[in-house]
Amino acid sequence: MVQDFGNTVASNGSDATSFALKLRAEPLELSWHHCGVTSDFIGEYFSRSCGSGIDPVDARHSISYMINEILENAIKFRHGGDVELVSTLDEDMFEIKIVNLIDAQTAEKFQGHLTLLLEREPGELLLERIEENALNPDSSGSGLGLLTLMSDYGAKLGWSFTSEHVSEGVELTTFASLRLS
Amino acid sequence: MEISTNDYRVWTEASTIHYEGTMRLSGTDAYAPILEIMNSVLSSKPEVITLDLTGLEFLNSSGINLLAKFTIEIRKQPDVGVRVLGSKAIPWQSKSLRNLQRLHPSLELTIS
Repeated sequence: MVQDFGNTVASNGSDATSFALKLRAEPLELSWHHCGVTSDFIGEYFSRSCGSGIDPVDARHSISYMINEILENAIKFRHGGDVELVSTLDEDMFEIKIVNLIDAQTAEKFQGHLTLLLEREPGELLLERIEENALNPDSSGSGLGLLTLMSDYGAKLGWSFTSEHVSEGVELTTFASLRLS
Repeated sequence: MEISTNDYRVWTEASTIHYEGTMRLSGTDAYAPILEIMNSVLSSKPEVITLDLTGLEFLNSSGINLLAKFTIEIRKQPDVGVRVLGSKAIPWQSKSLRNLQRLHPSLELTIS
């Protein structure tokens, strides 16, 4: 079964500059530290291949911020398994697909969260969420990663959940795109 | 007061709080010691608190939540003003710091 939320269609074709990376669950013991290292690496890689008219400092930062936020979620919520990243750049359009495994319960909770997220204007929802966080000192996560990407970076996001047998977990593919300037 | 690691440094000078480096901590708990330093400056009730972010190259969304939460704490104390200093050379600051001003319109934001 496949369930899609948001924008899950890639626009970059086979002519785009492409780069794929697999973070193996073993033997590295994937951890928080890998998010920043990986996102900086891909940001640096693509900032050197973007064309004239694109600010490489902004490109490196925006790509790195976007990948770091999605990877932090992948590392935080993954249910074992590797994490795969495929990124492409075609002129000013940067796209990334990040695939990881989550358990069925996490998938259901996240889907409920996404339904609310996609119904609202992200800038408004971001401020609301910040006010809620300030009232709940015990909440451990901020929930601001996806909202800042949509509101502050103008990123387009999508999620695809694929499951065959619930016991094997759910494969989550996160799609994100950004027009570099 | 100062917290210093290989990745970042946070320190205070009177009512100015300086941030430097890359902060990508894993969540509210991990940011708690930094919030503690910030709250100790607020509890001295200075006329103006300055957050100097001009050396903070990277901040993840949990860190943005920390700045937002602190802005709300300052908002509750009308006698304490707040000034935020950012840099145009650091892209996240032009993109995300305006949210602090939306939370607390009298916050003075300078990105130069």
